Amino acid sequence: MNNHELYALIIIFLVSIGTYGLRLSGLLLSGKISNEGKIRIFLDYLPPTLLLSFVTPVILKEGLAGIFAIFLIAACMYKTKNVFLSMIIGVVTIAISRNFFY
Amino acid sequence: MSANIYISNDFINGAKANTPIGLSVFAYGAVLGMICAQKGVEIYQLTLMNVFIFAGTSQFIIVDKWNNISEIFTIVAAALLINLRYFLIGASLNSLFKKSSLMDKFIYMHLVADENWAVTIERSKRESITPLFLFGGGICLFSIWSIGTYLGYIFSGFISDPSKYALDFAFIAIFTALCFNLYQGKRNLIPWLIAAVVAYVTEYLFGGNLYIVLGAIAGSLVGVILEAKK
Repeated sequence: MNNHELYALIIIFLVSIGTYGLRLSGLLLSGKISNEGKIRIFLDYLPPTLLLSFVTPVILKEGLAGIFAIFLIAACMYKTKNVFLSMIIGVVTIAISRNFFY
Repeated sequence: MSANIYISNDFINGAKANTPIGLSVFAYGAVLGMICAQKGVEIYQLTLMNVFIFAGTSQFIIVDKWNNISEIFTIVAAALLINLRYFLIGASLNSLFKKSSLMDKFIYMHLVADENWAVTIERSKRESITPLFLFGGGICLFSIWSIGTYLGYIFSGFISDPSKYALDFAFIAIFTALCFNLYQGKRNLIPWLIAAVVAYVTEYLFGGNLYIVLGAIAGSLVGVILEAKK
């Protein structure tokens, strides 16, 4: 085994342990602390705010097409509640914009 | 007996519910596989990462720095910083795991990715589900992700420009759709807006991937401040 392979293995090992540690410790700690009042509210807000933080910069980077796609997704979810259909509409909108407008 | 059927149903339902988002995971995996082939990553190294790290973006970071692999500390720190959100994701799964044993938590948490987490959280608001739903989704995504990376690795010369088909936007579209389903009324508006604005501004100013965690913390804290007053 050369040095490059050894370094790669060390990195993979450390990132594996660290990532699993983050996943597990979040769950275990939230089970330890009191699960009422403010902490309950905080934990309830985490999923939507994580998702929004994830998507917002990417959507805005797509410019008008991104905003338009989100508008269509919102309309589709409101009418049909169908996540898969919403995804198709979003992807097709962005694909059209990337292929024909840039 | 009936309890067993119920449990295995949850596993299968979780796998099924994650199949649409699997399209996006597949495309993302294929891109990683292509880059791995170009950078000279061995199949066994790719496999180790898929099995033990199982977190796409951080795998991209490692492979991206493959030529400077001796910078161990920098690479590990960058990869873990990106994965910091898994701490919050883990915390948000608290109520799903309420009745679970410690062993279940140890086993099921490894295969938690953004996608099966989002699908599970959204489903748990509508139906009563067990952590097996999350795990079924994890196994489904792990399979699709692995196949995607290997096919990308093998056929790295064939796919020229995956972004043309906007498959990278499939995640974003699904996450947005799932987010709409989590909306509970006007009281959510301000915290949600704060999360979006903080994420956008921190990403714009600093780049990197910390914006996900910062946006979520800011938005959730504002939610606590607004609702604790009532």
